[in-house]
Amino acid sequence: MPLLEVKNLRTVFDTDVGRVHAVDGVSFSIEKGRTLGMVGESGCGKSVTAASIMRLVPNPPGRIIGGEILWKGRNILDIPSKEMPELRGKEISMIFQDPMTSLNPVFTVRKQMEEVVSRRKGLKGKAADQTIIDMLQTVGIADPSRRVDNYPHELSGGMKQRVMIAMALLAEPDLLIADEPTTALDVTVQAQILHLMKDLQKRLGTAILLITHNMGVVAETCDDVVVMYAGRAIESAPIDELFAANRHPYTRGLLQSIPIPGSNKRDALATIEGVVPSLITPPKGCRFADRCFARQARCTTDDPTLTTIGTGHQVACHFPLEVAR
Amino acid sequence: MWKFQLDPVTAKRFQRFRRIKRGYIALLVLATLTGLSLFADFIANRRAIFVWHQGKAYFPTFTFHTMAEFGQKDEFGFDDLEADYVTLKATLKEKGGGFVVMPIVPHDPYEPDFNYPEPPPNPPDSRHLFGTDSQGRDVFARLLYGFRISIFFALSLVLVGQTIGTTIGALQGFLAGKFDLFSQRFIEIWSSLPFLYVVIVISTFVRPSFWMLVVILGMFQWIGITFYMRTEVYREKTREYALAARSFGASRRQLIFRHLLPNCITPLVTFTPFAVVAAISTLTGLDYLGFGLPAPTPSWGEMIDQALQSENRTKIWLAIAPFSALLLTLFLVTLIGESIREAFDPKQYARYE
Repeated sequence: MPLLEVKNLRTVFDTDVGRVHAVDGVSFSIEKGRTLGMVGESGCGKSVTAASIMRLVPNPPGRIIGGEILWKGRNILDIPSKEMPELRGKEISMIFQDPMTSLNPVFTVRKQMEEVVSRRKGLKGKAADQTIIDMLQTVGIADPSRRVDNYPHELSGGMKQRVMIAMALLAEPDLLIADEPTTALDVTVQAQILHLMKDLQKRLGTAILLITHNMGVVAETCDDVVVMYAGRAIESAPIDELFAANRHPYTRGLLQSIPIPGSNKRDALATIEGVVPSLITPPKGCRFADRCFARQARCTTDDPTLTTIGTGHQVACHFPLEVAR
Repeated sequence: MWKFQLDPVTAKRFQRFRRIKRGYIALLVLATLTGLSLFADFIANRRAIFVWHQGKAYFPTFTFHTMAEFGQKDEFGFDDLEADYVTLKATLKEKGGGFVVMPIVPHDPYEPDFNYPEPPPNPPDSRHLFGTDSQGRDVFARLLYGFRISIFFALSLVLVGQTIGTTIGALQGFLAGKFDLFSQRFIEIWSSLPFLYVVIVISTFVRPSFWMLVVILGMFQWIGITFYMRTEVYREKTREYALAARSFGASRRQLIFRHLLPNCITPLVTFTPFAVVAAISTLTGLDYLGFGLPAPTPSWGEMIDQALQSENRTKIWLAIAPFSALLLTLFLVTLIGESIREAFDPKQYARYE
């Protein structure tokens, strides 16, 4: 049994202009101790998927209208909301995209971390201090015993994100959801943070759901990848297979649009023509059909479903591409 | 356990407040006056602070001692009445055998003084520095005890009201949706009730005591702050740290009261002094109209009422005392409030050149 199994998840937002199908039938699963990368363009439903797993979709306007999120075999969507705080921050914790705003501006680092420690381990005051300082040391904050009394605005972005990660790890979760944890950071810090997460995964056996739109990050850290497009998972595969033997035209387009250092500058970078379809009135048939170079008549009428085409490799396409040699 | 820690921005605001001299001095003066008023029983009282009589020590401020204990008798020969410490002081001074330490003002706010040829009110003299009122009571003593009642009444009312208002406003902002919709309509209806009439109606059923009045006025006082707290929480709850706090397992209650409210204290701090001003004025007004604290409670409103009676029009000291006390107090609180508001005003220190 996988640690987390998301089945046909559907999350919508009811807005003034209509119902936005932000996540429209996404399925994937994560095994214990593994890292699943979730990639896709902005607005494809990655963050909403993460929020749905944590049951933190703002309602209204958001609502989970279908599917199952099986956590250790139990459907998270059936857990009474009173019991959710038990799950959040103990079994599943989350690192947010923007470290600048995810810490409470009026409390010191110590105060914020102490809350997590007291909730998870029942330690308070002085007893919690050592745990907090050790964890700050672990995430690579220099001089933690001094930094612990700083307010968020006194820390740099990288440090704030480390504090967020330290808080998430203090909870010793079974699953860590990292929603673009490095997007707001510069490249050197990005690498350190990713390294840190992998390191802790090895030590604690934590599963990680890494949400990103950076293929380089995925290549470096993930075991498996789910590619999302317009609220759907369109291809999922182990990392090597995805890079070497991807079958969906979108995945291929995505990979080809990564600039390769040292390549001939006169060759224009490959792009995917067109724009993401409206999620209020999603097109009939394949959602990528509009932009697909391999589109055929059937693509605009029939909706492809995610089908297994290899070991751990699934793709939602009527006409999967041949593996490039 | 809810430790309220100031964030550095707020700490800076308080520093800025200290630098605004008029507000800071007003705060110190008012705090001193309030502190002193707590010891009113030692400042204005007809009971002595300390009596040394025939080798025995007495602290009669809060206890009852008969005349007999000090070998006194009144003109009719009774000795089971309360001891007369002023006379005792004179006697002991003359004959020795002990001494009496009297408060600075040897009068309490209830005792009538009929030792004048004219009927009260009697103008200020060396015995009653502020004169006596129409029942012969010392005006200064009544002013002092009245100040204590006013200020603590205002503080209790504001504490109760702002706590309720903040909680309800925060819940409206946080829960939003139906709760917000219906409670907002309720507040609109509730706040359109003419509160003076409600107080008058209620005070015909129950004899208003200090706490009864706090409750009655508290029923209306809380409304003002809800609007501000509601919008503050509405804004703060969508910030990412709120989401992050939930992702770390904070329950709704913890989220509202521990994470969001400390970020929303600005309106609370800036409006509270003005709420105190309003509360003092309201109590004085109700006392003036006779719907406030029951007689013979020393109260400024009642003093003003006396001063404005037609037969007292020429007794100017009756009006000067309560009016200047009221003016001074409201002025001090307003200065404080206005300085806090200035200290919290971002426009003051955001300069673009």
